Amino acid sequence: MVSIQIRGLVKRFGNLVALNRLDLDIASGELFFLLGPSGCGKTTLLRSIAGFHLPEEGTILFDGDDVSQVPPHKRETAMMFQSYALWPHLNVYKNVAFGLEERRVKKTEIKEQVEAALSMVKMDGLGNRKVNQLSGGQQQRVALARALVVRPRCLMLDEPLSNLDAKLRIEMRTEIRRICKEFGLTAIYVTHDQKEALSIADRLAVLDGGNIAQVGTPEEVYRQPRTALVAGFIGETNLVDGKVVCHSEGNIHVQTPVGELAGRPSDSAWLPEPGEAVAVSIRPECLSIDSRPTTRNAIAGKLTESTYLGEVAHYSMKVEGHAETIHLSELNPRRIIRGAGETLCATAKPEDVVLLPPR
Amino acid sequence: MNRTLAISVYGITVLFFTLFFAYPIWHTVREAFVTPEGSLTLSYIKELFRNPIYVEGLINSFYMGLFTTLLCLVIALPLALMANYWDFRGKELLNSLILVPLILPPFVGALGVRQFLGQSGVFNTFLIELGLMDAEAPYDWLGEGQLFGVVLMNALHLYPIAYLNISAALANVDPAMEEAAENLGCPGIRRLFRVTLPMIMPGVFAGATIIFIWSFTELGVPLIFDFSRVTSVQIFDGIKDLSGNPFPYALVVVMLAATVLFYLLGKWLFGGTVGASTGRATTGRSLKTASPLANLLCIGSFVLVTGLAVLPHLGVILLSVSEQWYGTLLPQNWTDQHYFDAIGHPLTLNSIGNSLKYASLATAVNVILGIAIAYVVVRTKLPGRQFLDAISMLPLAVPGLVLAFGYLSMTREGQPFDFLILGENPILILVIAYAVRRLPYVVRSAAAGFQQTSVTLEEAGQNLGCPPLKTLVKVTLPLIAANLIAGGLLAFSFAMLEVSDSLILAEQSQYFPITKAIYALVTSLGNGPHLASALGVWAMTFLGITIVGAGVILGKKLGALFRV
Repeated sequence: MVSIQIRGLVKRFGNLVALNRLDLDIASGELFFLLGPSGCGKTTLLRSIAGFHLPEEGTILFDGDDVSQVPPHKRETAMMFQSYALWPHLNVYKNVAFGLEERRVKKTEIKEQVEAALSMVKMDGLGNRKVNQLSGGQQQRVALARALVVRPRCLMLDEPLSNLDAKLRIEMRTEIRRICKEFGLTAIYVTHDQKEALSIADRLAVLDGGNIAQVGTPEEVYRQPRTALVAGFIGETNLVDGKVVCHSEGNIHVQTPVGELAGRPSDSAWLPEPGEAVAVSIRPECLSIDSRPTTRNAIAGKLTESTYLGEVAHYSMKVEGHAETIHLSELNPRRIIRGAGETLCATAKPEDVVLLPPR
Repeated sequence: MNRTLAISVYGITVLFFTLFFAYPIWHTVREAFVTPEGSLTLSYIKELFRNPIYVEGLINSFYMGLFTTLLCLVIALPLALMANYWDFRGKELLNSLILVPLILPPFVGALGVRQFLGQSGVFNTFLIELGLMDAEAPYDWLGEGQLFGVVLMNALHLYPIAYLNISAALANVDPAMEEAAENLGCPGIRRLFRVTLPMIMPGVFAGATIIFIWSFTELGVPLIFDFSRVTSVQIFDGIKDLSGNPFPYALVVVMLAATVLFYLLGKWLFGGTVGASTGRATTGRSLKTASPLANLLCIGSFVLVTGLAVLPHLGVILLSVSEQWYGTLLPQNWTDQHYFDAIGHPLTLNSIGNSLKYASLATAVNVILGIAIAYVVVRTKLPGRQFLDAISMLPLAVPGLVLAFGYLSMTREGQPFDFLILGENPILILVIAYAVRRLPYVVRSAAAGFQQTSVTLEEAGQNLGCPPLKTLVKVTLPLIAANLIAGGLLAFSFAMLEVSDSLILAEQSQYFPITKAIYALVTSLGNGPHLASALGVWAMTFLGITIVGAGVILGKKLGALFRV
């Protein structure tokens, strides 16, 4: 399997800069996710690696070989398209066999390999079906088989699960990870569903404005987001702007509209000085309801909305002097607080209060 | 629309088609199998196949249809591919100009072709002046190659149908389908043959079917070329002694059977059961900006094809303003006399008036019936509404000549529908004939309009207390006006150009429509062809205006009108 290095990649569409001097390393055998808001360049990056876009500047290396100008059909990547792109004029078998035929594989071997690929995605014996006789989930499996059967150097997945229902999505994402690991595939997976990424990625990159905002393992990116955008995009968070007051006991104290908060920067190499502007991120599940109003890192406000979901309860509250609503969630709630307008007090541990560069 | 009204629309449409579509066909078919004594016989059909002239006619008709269709595809496919993948200079303009030939009456153009390719025509004169041909023995292009001339003229008229169908089919191909092929190692030309062409086959086939049926039974062009060894012209000639002669009937039946057979054969071979593409397109197609060389290739091809297609009609214009044009490159003397003569000629003004009358009445019938049918098909849940949709498309699949012949025989004296000829005036049957054949265009465009207009707009109207029919008139019709106007304009201009019905059903000169007047002028002596050209130019001017109007209003959707 291939390792991929991307150096200074630039792709423009007219005046729009889709990729802006982007650098990225993907290790061999890694299941790597590209995430980001729409228009961030994740699909452009994927299509550039597959060769559908030729970059204006920069290089893409496969195992150290420059493939930036190699046409798509010679890159030996295999893409699974969001719309599946199964050819309606060919049946399931012929769709899967297509890539092998292009590689001049012997007929008997094609038969063997196609059958093996179909059985791997649990589509045994359905080779004669017309593509439009398949359900969405089955089409998705055929598309995966078609991409896998050619033993690609890199598997590309472009929002492969976005057309499936929620239950099937969870089933298929585990399946995709199983298959990738079984073959030791290098795979690049584009999605806007952060749960998909957090659950099966080895590492992931969050893109913003044609550049990488952060790369890391799911835990790193979730727990130590480097920017306000990453914090808001991966998971839910409360973001509050503030100014550093002082450093004490390993924590940094920040004055914010919701009160003074003590926390730690996400990047240990960065120590904001007193007076410096910062953004503070606190995940809803890091805030716990606490009746003692004097504790540290306490936020008090008026309850505006409460939602009971069984395993968790969500609360929204309004803090005087702060425009944005503060969200908090309580796991395993014994009772739900319903009275809108009731005063609520919540606290967070300093290690859960993350300081970020200002927005 | 309430159920009773929907059922009445359904009933009226079925009745209309039974009387003016099924019955004329049945009438003709019956005559071909029944002896004057009233017993069944196959002898007419057998006799026909024993007569070498009729057999040759059928073979020539088949060639005329096949070669026209192939030539249309050869012309249209590369153009459609270029427009689909490349962005080149002046694309919008070239893209609409390429469609213009569709509305230039081909049998008027044939006059121009004769001028160019005749023995003393422009092409030979040019070759003689270059010293490449002996002036004493000029080659007779049209004498030797009448079929070639007819096919060329047909193809230059009909290729826009193929172009529109192929373009529409290409636009529906999800670019990801092509990228998937490239991604799996199948680029360029190989991808075209393995993925793109098979996927657009149904669209290509739909266009090819219409072209084949159209050209297999084309009457006007071979008539003007004096090419009498084709079935259509043989049927036309046979009309003169209709009473008692069963062969025109037998020929019509064979022609109809052959059309159906070729259609089914083609469907079996190429139509396949390629389903609609699955999922929606996720990547927009990004057009490649053409390199200077590709720019040249694209622009050159579009200009060449359009130019070639328009050339015969330029010839017609030249002919209409020339005093004499014989054995020279350009006419020797110029004159505007023919236009005045044409207006002064008893045939011409009358025929323009007649055509306007017939075509507008037929269009009115089409629009009313078209709206009603489209409404029932799109907006109601009436069982069997798909059947209604299907039968309203049928006239596209049946040769105009077959229907025209049926109308003629069912309105002869003593036949059940002879009351449709008022004295000697064929206006009623001509309006019906024009309307039946053009109904599909209006139904399709109205149906497209209904599909694009959300039903909730109508519900909102009804919800505020407006009765259903009134809502239709006050809310929906204004919203789909563009579709209706475009469909109506198209129906109108094709009716103005109609050949088979006009030539066969209008027998008295004071009732001649334009096309028959042109035909009568061409075959008359003296300055007839010049007058015919002048009349042709009048007709083309009219049509040019209407079609450009339709194109502007309907835009790209124009292609959707030409699908079976």
